[in-house]
Amino acid sequence: MAAIGQIVEPTPSGDVLSRAQSRARLIPDCMVEAKRIANTVISGWHGRRKRGIGENFWQFRPYSDGESLSRIDWRRSARDDHTYVRDREWEAAHTIWLWADLSPSMMYKSKFGSVSKESRALVLMLALAEILARSGERIGCPGVMEPVSARNAAERLATALMHTPLSGGLPQTAMIRGMSDLVLIGDFLDPADQIMARLGPLARRGLRGHVIEIADPAEESFPYAGRTEFTDPETGERLTAGRAEIVRDDYRRAYIARRDSLGENLRHLGWTFTPHRTDHLASEALVAVHMYLSGMPGRATHGGQL
Amino acid sequence: MSFLPFIFANPLMLAALVALPAIWWLLRMTPPKPVVEVFPPLRILASVLKREETPSKSPWWLTLLRMLMAAAIIFAIADPVFNPRSNTLSGSGPLALVIDNSWATSPDWQRRVETADALISDAEEKDLPVAVVFTADQDHNAVPGSALTARNRLAAATPQPLRPDRETAVNALKTALDGTAPGTLAFLSDGIEAADGKVMTELAALSPGNFRLIEGGKDQAVAISNSANDSESMVVSATRLDTAGARTLPVTAYDTRGRAIANGSVAFAAGEGLAKATLAAPFELRNDFARVGIDGLATAGGTFLLDDGFRRRRVALLSGEARDQSQPLLSPLYYINRALAPYADLIQPNEADMAVSIPELLAQKPSMLIMADIGRLPEETYGPITKWIENGGTLVRFAGPRLAAAPADDPLVPVTLRQGERALGGALSWSEPQPLADYPALSPFAGMPRPEGILVKRQVLAEPTADLSARTWASLADGTPLVTTKTQGAGRIILFHVSAEATWSNLPISGDFVEMLRRSVQLSRSGGVASEGAAKGQTLAPYRLLNANGVLISETGKARPLELSAGTTPVSSAEHPPGLYGSEEGFTALNLLPHDAELKPINASGLSIPYTSEPLIGAEAWSMKPWLFAAALIMLLVDSAVVLFMGGAFARLRMPAAAAIVLALAAGALVATPGQSLADDSKPGDDIILRQLDKTHLAYVITGEADVDRLSERGLAGLTDFLTYRTTLEPGPPIGLDIASDELAFYSLIYWPVSANAPMPSPAAISRIDAYMRSGGTVLFDTRDQFSSLSSGSGTSPNSERLQAILADLDIPPLEPVPADNVLTKSFYLLSNFPGRYNGSPLWIEAQPDNGSQPTGRPARSGDGVSPIMITGNDFAGAWAIDSNGMPLLPTVPPDEQQRELAFRSGVNIMMYMLTGNYKADQVHIPALLERLGQ
Repeated sequence: MAAIGQIVEPTPSGDVLSRAQSRARLIPDCMVEAKRIANTVISGWHGRRKRGIGENFWQFRPYSDGESLSRIDWRRSARDDHTYVRDREWEAAHTIWLWADLSPSMMYKSKFGSVSKESRALVLMLALAEILARSGERIGCPGVMEPVSARNAAERLATALMHTPLSGGLPQTAMIRGMSDLVLIGDFLDPADQIMARLGPLARRGLRGHVIEIADPAEESFPYAGRTEFTDPETGERLTAGRAEIVRDDYRRAYIARRDSLGENLRHLGWTFTPHRTDHLASEALVAVHMYLSGMPGRATHGGQL
Repeated sequence: MSFLPFIFANPLMLAALVALPAIWWLLRMTPPKPVVEVFPPLRILASVLKREETPSKSPWWLTLLRMLMAAAIIFAIADPVFNPRSNTLSGSGPLALVIDNSWATSPDWQRRVETADALISDAEEKDLPVAVVFTADQDHNAVPGSALTARNRLAAATPQPLRPDRETAVNALKTALDGTAPGTLAFLSDGIEAADGKVMTELAALSPGNFRLIEGGKDQAVAISNSANDSESMVVSATRLDTAGARTLPVTAYDTRGRAIANGSVAFAAGEGLAKATLAAPFELRNDFARVGIDGLATAGGTFLLDDGFRRRRVALLSGEARDQSQPLLSPLYYINRALAPYADLIQPNEADMAVSIPELLAQKPSMLIMADIGRLPEETYGPITKWIENGGTLVRFAGPRLAAAPADDPLVPVTLRQGERALGGALSWSEPQPLADYPALSPFAGMPRPEGILVKRQVLAEPTADLSARTWASLADGTPLVTTKTQGAGRIILFHVSAEATWSNLPISGDFVEMLRRSVQLSRSGGVASEGAAKGQTLAPYRLLNANGVLISETGKARPLELSAGTTPVSSAEHPPGLYGSEEGFTALNLLPHDAELKPINASGLSIPYTSEPLIGAEAWSMKPWLFAAALIMLLVDSAVVLFMGGAFARLRMPAAAAIVLALAAGALVATPGQSLADDSKPGDDIILRQLDKTHLAYVITGEADVDRLSERGLAGLTDFLTYRTTLEPGPPIGLDIASDELAFYSLIYWPVSANAPMPSPAAISRIDAYMRSGGTVLFDTRDQFSSLSSGSGTSPNSERLQAILADLDIPPLEPVPADNVLTKSFYLLSNFPGRYNGSPLWIEAQPDNGSQPTGRPARSGDGVSPIMITGNDFAGAWAIDSNGMPLLPTVPPDEQQRELAFRSGVNIMMYMLTGNYKADQVHIPALLERLGQ
């Protein structure tokens, strides 16, 4: 019986050159894919209203119930019987930091998923970079690339990634300042409290975070049966289950509970959480994250996010 | 097979060792190889997956352990035996077996049977006839027969609780063999030599071809041969057969129900065959000993039965005195109690009413009944007491004021008594207090030294008769009897002519008193004496017999009644096996060994032919089976522990431990807080009793005559008012009592207007009044007839006659008019007489002992206690009676209001006397006391 999951890209430590080559080989593919996906997102975009945080007037619009009273423009409203809100133009270039976790566990691909988790993470990262660069945002990658504002930010990010491969673990974030957005892509299999211990200080510094959890379908559905020896790709730890199928329900419950508690904790920080499976289309996650980034509440995705 | 001292009982089982490689292969089996899967969320999986790491191979040492375990089990089933026995019977003649089945063989009887059985099997192999004779059986049938017969007889034989009768057995064998020399003569001996010591010589005289003496372990042959009581402990003599080495055995004494009540140990010194054990126990406890046994030795010899001679007697105590609790030193029973408590089982009545208490005491079958100063008993109790004495009871009476005042026709005194007592010494007498003379030779007190320092100041005197001196156990120096006795039926009446407390003599506080009482008690029958039925004869049927294991059984089998004759000590035999003879009420113990017997080993010296000494079978041949099984079990335990350890069971112990602590705490909390619940012990009528106890009430007897009762009620109401007005005593409303049914104990004084027209109270009611007076109450009888006072003698009024009828059944002390120095005249008012509606009748109270030594000038005589009876004829109630307006109902005679005032004062004095007793007598000394204190 063939194994369900496999390590797609074994990365022998120390073989930097081959790693760089393979990454370089991979990243153009990702670029093509990312551009294709970004185009689908943008082409489905009808008349983007550029209101948001800015200095200049953009428009008056009637006040709608539920909005903060402080946003009412009383001078305009005094002229007639309606109450108006002054919208400002979204103008200040926003810095968005992108980061993908490329730890060994991300190299996993089961036969139920179409690509490995790492591949999907890179695709999502570069696609986001492409979209956001078109919108004029500053794109950065902590530890890899300083924020740049350029049309070809995605290509530059890919180039930077070829030279400075991402390492595992959560990034060094000391250089991130001010009101930036942070997009974290990874599998987040560490215990939730460890993750939150890392992310909590970021949130307190005012960063808005968007977390995309990439999961392989095998990790979620646990399709194993019979005597099975499981190996952790990061630690090499081994665990033998006499009859794997009898723990399936328990495992699923624990897995979903971990995801739920992580999502709940992140929402408490004001961050967004988007779970994503590699057998789904990458554009699903991309659309969801993009809407979060553009200040709109995301559609209900399969993670049930607000 | 015999050249090695090692054989397998089931050698075929060793074939199972072939299976060991298969077991090895099975033990090496491993689980299937797992599918290796990469799994990034391993941590989540680990949290839900129980750690079950089965190593792919069990370690070699575990496999070795399991192989050893299997091998041990196979070898154990194969049953290796060391030192097997072999058939060495001589084929020259029949096999003769002389088997002791005496008491000492019972611990290892089974091995003896196996030994004999093996010999019989050997004889069967060689086709020899077998003659078996059992030495302790009664039928010594030694006729040689087939091995089958011998085996059947062997199976039927049991150890007997007897000593072996070897002489008869050997003779029977000799007769049965009829000159044929036995090929092999085996003597399965208990190792104890009989008295003659010739058994080996006699057996050798049969000239057997092969003479074997087979003996078992001698350490079980320990017997108790005697026991004796000394002042502090019971000393038990024990003897043993095996004198080598020091040995200490525990000895326990049991009571009749088999409960261990005392322990000791018998320590044999090395080389000594005799030793004594001391069972230290209080005398009271030692009297309960019924059996002494050596622990761990279940033989008839290791058990020593005790009979009634050791049992202490049950003695019933009865007193006519009322003042028992408050002043114990004045109570006669106090001295008797102290004297007899170590030697006898004392019982006292629960009721003061003698008509109830005497049958109750007799129902407990006492050996002895002691009456201290009882002058007169209820009429219906004479019959049962007389019957009880004739059945063997011993009645001991002590004199006293009541007995001295009793009529002379008392059937329960040994001699005719003169009315009144004799005082020795005093102001009006030349005589001196008398010491005691030497005890007469026929007296049971003979042998005691003549007591020094005992002086009798007062005694009751016997009318001289011809046989008086023969019935005198002790007398005074002037020859007047002090202790007299009379046998009546099987029993005896003993009279001490002095009182049992120290007022008449100082005998009760001397050591001789204890010894005299003790000897009297020992004379009494040991078993309980019933007041019905007839006395028993001297042939005792077997009651409980010992079996060979030293257990008392009720099956008496062929045992015959034991005939006791004076001067001979019965010896246990086949007809009279050891045990208890008699009945439950009284029995004699017959023990296996005569007193101070000694166990000695078989004397085998000076024999004409050689003999071989052998142990019992099974002593040397021993099987390795249990050891192998034990080893296998230990290995199994080790293996289980190893498997548990490797499975990580001990690593996971921590969580359950915490949970267990929480559970234990919770359970402890549940246990520690049980709800307090109290039983409701209230009874109907409690509220009425509590109401009556709240206040003092005056009480009167309802005679049944309406106007007398009304007058009593009004009279006591008037006295109650007067008391409330003049004194601090504020009684409640008066209570009318039906003396046949109401509880009398709540009232200190009962006023009883005697009326000849009223119905006579029943004997039961009078008995209740008697008990009331005896337990501290006082009855004020009022005959209401001033014309004929009690002392006039001639022309008594009907009321006085009725009073005499009532008092006839009461045990009343001697009476006297209130003397001028009695506390009654001073208890509240100073009074010289006690008038009621009439004047002139004296108030009679219990006569106080005239000690004569008191100075006459004292204002009040100190007395102890309160008179239980007062008699007047002055009609107190008539003078006290008032109507609802407080006006007197009846005029006084003569009409003098001062007399009514005095009548009330008399009532007050009487009530104060009732409630304070002699306290007021002491109060008159207050000025002197204060002066002495310097105030």
